[in-house]
Amino acid sequence: MTSASLASRPRGSTLAALSTCGLVLALGALIAAALLARPATEARRESGRALARELGLTDPALFGEARYTRHPSQADLASAFQDAPTGLDHFPAGSLVAAPRGFGTGHIGGGEE
Amino acid sequence: MIFHPSILALLGSSWLATAVLLASAVFAMRLLASWDRASGSERQIRLERATILVSTAVGLVLALEAASLILFVFNADRMSALFVGAMCAVGTLNASVYGFATLYAKIAVFFASALWLVLDRVDGEGRDFPLIRLKYAALLAVAPIVALEAGLETAYFLDLKADTITSCCGKLFEDGPQSSGAGGELAALEPRPALWLLFGGAAVVVLGGLVAGRSRVFQIAQGVFGGAMFVVGLAAIVSVVSLYVYEQPHHHCPFCLLKREYDHFGFALYLPLFLGAAAALASGMLGVVPRRASLAVAQPAIAARLARLSALGFALFALACLWVIWRSNLLLFG
Amino acid sequence: MGARFERQRHLLDFAVASLARRPAKNLGLTLVYALVVFLLGSVMLFGSAIRREAGVMLADAPEIVAQSMVMGRHDLATGADLEALKGLRGIRRVEPRLWGYLWDSAGAANYTVMVPSPSDAAHALASGEAIVGEGVARARKLAVGKPFFLVSPAGKFLRTRIKAILPQASALVSSDLVLVAEADFRSFFAIPADRYTDFAIEVANPREVSTIAEKASVRLPTYRFVTRADMHRTLEALFSWREGLALALLAASLLAFVILAFDKASGLSAEERREIGILKAIGWETSDVIRMKLWEGTAISGTAFLAGLLAAWVHVFFFSAGLFEPVLKGWSTLWPRFPLSPEVDALEIATLALLTVVPYTAAVVVPIWKTAVTDPDAVMR
Repeated sequence: MTSASLASRPRGSTLAALSTCGLVLALGALIAAALLARPATEARRESGRALARELGLTDPALFGEARYTRHPSQADLASAFQDAPTGLDHFPAGSLVAAPRGFGTGHIGGGEE
Repeated sequence: MIFHPSILALLGSSWLATAVLLASAVFAMRLLASWDRASGSERQIRLERATILVSTAVGLVLALEAASLILFVFNADRMSALFVGAMCAVGTLNASVYGFATLYAKIAVFFASALWLVLDRVDGEGRDFPLIRLKYAALLAVAPIVALEAGLETAYFLDLKADTITSCCGKLFEDGPQSSGAGGELAALEPRPALWLLFGGAAVVVLGGLVAGRSRVFQIAQGVFGGAMFVVGLAAIVSVVSLYVYEQPHHHCPFCLLKREYDHFGFALYLPLFLGAAAALASGMLGVVPRRASLAVAQPAIAARLARLSALGFALFALACLWVIWRSNLLLFG
Repeated sequence: MGARFERQRHLLDFAVASLARRPAKNLGLTLVYALVVFLLGSVMLFGSAIRREAGVMLADAPEIVAQSMVMGRHDLATGADLEALKGLRGIRRVEPRLWGYLWDSAGAANYTVMVPSPSDAAHALASGEAIVGEGVARARKLAVGKPFFLVSPAGKFLRTRIKAILPQASALVSSDLVLVAEADFRSFFAIPADRYTDFAIEVANPREVSTIAEKASVRLPTYRFVTRADMHRTLEALFSWREGLALALLAASLLAFVILAFDKASGLSAEERREIGILKAIGWETSDVIRMKLWEGTAISGTAFLAGLLAAWVHVFFFSAGLFEPVLKGWSTLWPRFPLSPEVDALEIATLALLTVVPYTAAVVVPIWKTAVTDPDAVMR
């Protein structure tokens, strides 16, 4: 290795710093884009929120297969096997949506401060 | 138990730290029993080599423990949505009897780790393992605290259940008649003496930190005053600084400060305060530790540097307090 | 300060050069590492983004929903109970609601059929009109003004014309909705005039929600009262649980990665051993070698973590977590097409770092030390 090639090659620490800076900058650009898009995001969320308020919606419309996946917060409490005898779970979403738990007494959801 | 990424991460790191420290403690006992610097035996060489591994591994996990303290509080704040009546970290911590115990254990681990790391660093400056026995004896003391912390944390997270009815910070840190415990007493501290204590104490430790390089007595004093200032700082946050942040004359909670609503301002208070206190204690410790010949230069130099660092930490803390009082719309004194 | 900085910088130079001498091995490790960060990061970013999105949109859900229960199942609420609730002090308004599910064989999907509240002017419908969610419109290829037919389980036909399609912005909560007029709904499902699905209760003082729910449950003991806080906790628990489950599944891949990292770090080639031996022979201390090796680890960790996080971010927020979609969708034919908006969350990024960087570091510390304490003469021989 000649001294010329040594001098022309950037130092390892410089390369490391540059690549880190590059990644951080890219991440920073994404974060900046997110911050710039904030007003549009807020407006979009606000329109969804207004719709949910007007229609009195209670749950996200993600899994439409069964009552307990479509409206987890409104699902029956006590009816095990509600969709079929011995049918613990027959939808893939059942592995993602837990049965509603923790409604306390079953009448009201505990006290609210 | 609540299945949550942050909880998994916290538990994982605590148990990793415990495993590393317990293994190191076993090694420490072996070392204390058979360390002989003069010997050239195979066993002595093996021990010397292993100390390098222990220093590296323990250094890494103790740094991890410091990070996990922050994450723990941050996470407690975030989880408050899951509990009935909780509004900030207090509710989450109160949702189980182990909550606050875990927090205190984590703070203890933080300070113990900081001190041990400083000891390790100083020991590394000397060629002849000058503090090795002290260091490993200290490790035997730190390991149980870390294990206790992991145990408490596990008990806490296992005990947590969503929808538990818990109390909000208002109940603990309100200066009204319904408040209870130490939080209420701190909150009841009058603002005026609290401010005097805060800024008087800060002036003492900042000055003390700057002059501590001159003698060991100053360093020891800095350790003592720094520890006291930590308590004073926390008391002042509860009794008066929080009022200025919330701009409400009766809300004293020291945890709501960390919330986004208050721009995570709590971090600007707690990080320098913890840094200042840890550095001051470490400086005091180096003042107490007997000086070996091989550390004649390094030990005072590091102690002085730590004292200056503690001065910086406390100064930043005091400035953050001043800034929030100056900026606040609340007027406590006419 | 300057000297110490220069020293570390030289160590880093060495570390980078040493990494570059074995490009295939280290690049492979970094890629796998980044992939692990990408997977975990995608799950976490997606989970929290969808939770936040749903949380904001459902922030104004009804304060209390009252459901009639018979033998543990929902039953229709009656007009008499409506009057009983209306008489309670502290209740400002009780809104009887009509909604239900309909399996539509043409769209092969479940719809949520709903009657908009009479006070909701924006969605007021005349008989024969319908407003549908974005998912329904997609499944049935509907457009404003087009006819839309529904067949009831009893074989009854409902003929409507599309008045509007709900905006995509709200798809997360409205994708499967079909809004129809009350008269159409009652005749379609054959619901008598004074029967309702449930009641939405609006209270005068939001602080009294639980007291009012308690009082109301005394008045109507067969009803179940679901408060807004219950709904929010269900939502929170639902997504946290899902996220935790996915992470637990990914723990296996994390473990595999840790083993790989451990293996790569301990299986030194003869050439690497010689390098360390030479370094020590020319006067490097064990602690210097450890520091250099730690720098190598830091370089790999830093690059892999940042690259993985970057990829996860792009995946979740620019491609709506496309890789997860088949898993999430399951049998859900009306999976809403909703955009996710990023929010910077330090807790999340810290957790991700803790879950990935810590295991890697733990895996390589012992091999690094083993390498560093090797005797120079043992490897040069």
